[in-house]
Amino acid sequence: MNQHRLINEGVTPLASLNLGSLKKPYVALMMEVIGRALEASSQVDERIQKEVARLPAGFVFDMRALPSGPCFVMQKVGESNLKYLGSESELPSDTSLKFKHLTHAFLVLSFQEGTAQAFANDRLLVDGEIAHAMKLVRCLNRMESLILPKLIAQRALKRYPDITLGQKLSTGGRIYKQLVKNLVKGKNNV
Amino acid sequence: MSKAYYEFFCPVKIVAGNAALEHIPHELRTLAATRPMIITDKGVRGAGLIDHVLNAFAESGMDIIEIYDDVPPDSSTQVVKDIAKIYRDQHCDSIIAVGGGSVIDTSKGVNILVSENSTDLSEFSGVGVLTKPLKPFFVVPTTAGTGSEVTLVAVISDLEQGVKLPFTSYFLLPNAAILDPRMTLTLPPHITAMTAMDAMTHAIESITGLASNPISDAYAMSAIKKVSENLIAVLDKPDNADARLELAQASTMAGIAFSNSMVGLVHSLGHSLGALCHLPHGLCMNLFLPYVLEYNLESRGDVIGELLLPLAGADVYAATPAAKRPAKTIETLCDIRDELYLRCKLPRRLSETGKVSRDQLARIAEMALDDGSIIMNPMEVDLSDAMAVLEKAW
Repeated sequence: MNQHRLINEGVTPLASLNLGSLKKPYVALMMEVIGRALEASSQVDERIQKEVARLPAGFVFDMRALPSGPCFVMQKVGESNLKYLGSESELPSDTSLKFKHLTHAFLVLSFQEGTAQAFANDRLLVDGEIAHAMKLVRCLNRMESLILPKLIAQRALKRYPDITLGQKLSTGGRIYKQLVKNLVKGKNNV
Repeated sequence: MSKAYYEFFCPVKIVAGNAALEHIPHELRTLAATRPMIITDKGVRGAGLIDHVLNAFAESGMDIIEIYDDVPPDSSTQVVKDIAKIYRDQHCDSIIAVGGGSVIDTSKGVNILVSENSTDLSEFSGVGVLTKPLKPFFVVPTTAGTGSEVTLVAVISDLEQGVKLPFTSYFLLPNAAILDPRMTLTLPPHITAMTAMDAMTHAIESITGLASNPISDAYAMSAIKKVSENLIAVLDKPDNADARLELAQASTMAGIAFSNSMVGLVHSLGHSLGALCHLPHGLCMNLFLPYVLEYNLESRGDVIGELLLPLAGADVYAATPAAKRPAKTIETLCDIRDELYLRCKLPRRLSETGKVSRDQLARIAEMALDDGSIIMNPMEVDLSDAMAVLEKAW
């Protein structure tokens, strides 16, 4: 006679889906999206530029899932911009953000677990100077708040920033435009 | 207080209580060690604390082979290298660190060099670089606050390169931590107060942080109770060995808690203030603790309210309506700080330190944002948030 219905009855969390072979391509795709979006954001958003400006010249960092990827690598160029170097680079990384397992990367990149919570859950390791890693996390957070829908960004961040819809559409739109421009430029350079 | 995933690890044997030091020879033998070297500093030796350890070895059939008593407050790779050479020359086979944070970190560095048969400590800097167990290593803390006897990290300055080398490895954890009330009996009141507030902060931040977990919470709650019940008793009667032991245990328990759950904004601000204004770590913790809890109320109000039980006791907890417990917790902490200010002039506000100027606050806030502990704070913190907390603490 139990008439109560579980609130999550019938809802299958993404993490428990048997995504098997889909996980790796999804994480690889998301890593490329994040890398390229970060590059574009650093060309548009002043706050991200301010953070990047405080990194050493030529600073290289990567984010990867252990043991063998997927991965994206970025480098500081000029005063305050980031350049997406691709899914691998011959340049050694100054700082590396490493997920212990592909599933942990999937949890974060499918916005089921925030970046800070992933650190707290011992899923994400920092190899390199912590102060630089903190700047990178702030860049990632800022980018996510600008380009993701609020509902999704709220899952990834500890606090959704105080930005109006107008600001979000305007800056987010410029980031997407810059991202496309970078992609076209990249293709033309090939 | 629980969460979906956590890790907890503490393999350190705790040897605590009356005549604990006398257990060291036996504990060494169980690890097949018979030629221990003591590493300490001039202050500890001058206070006669090494004599307690030497007396403990009398009639044990084991001798201390060497005593190095010149560890500076800010140790360096050169000091570590010098001590390692003495260790090798004297054919020692184990290390007993007797002291506070600097002595313990230096000893961890020495243990790396002598175990890896190396002279270059920088080779082993970083996370997880060490891959095999080191020599038998015991720690006898002489302050009750840092919890270094149960942590897996060490930070040692490389003065030639001008950098601080961090070391993180499970193999840096001591085999045993020896808590003997004789070792903290002569600790002066203001250091007793500062270090106890350090332990209190470790415990509270480990519970309120993002990485809290049920096991470290249990250690932390017990540590808070021990500090709140025994700190004033020790200041009333410094030779109260039972209360001293309680504080030493609180420090170790808080150390176990925070080395598994990490710390938050109090430490981010405290590390920055300490580095910029050269204030002792425990004092920095005392300065920021209530203001950071106020800041974190929005996301951790329920947890902060539960801290009232170990802090103020069952009667106060029961008499305080649930909704008012978070504020009462912070009020109780402020009362403890007022009492410490009255008894040993332990500053409660930045302005009371006489060593911080208001125009340094912006720099402290900026540095705090780059401190690794900030990511474990339950509330997001930006520059203006950090400045607001600093202004409150002014």
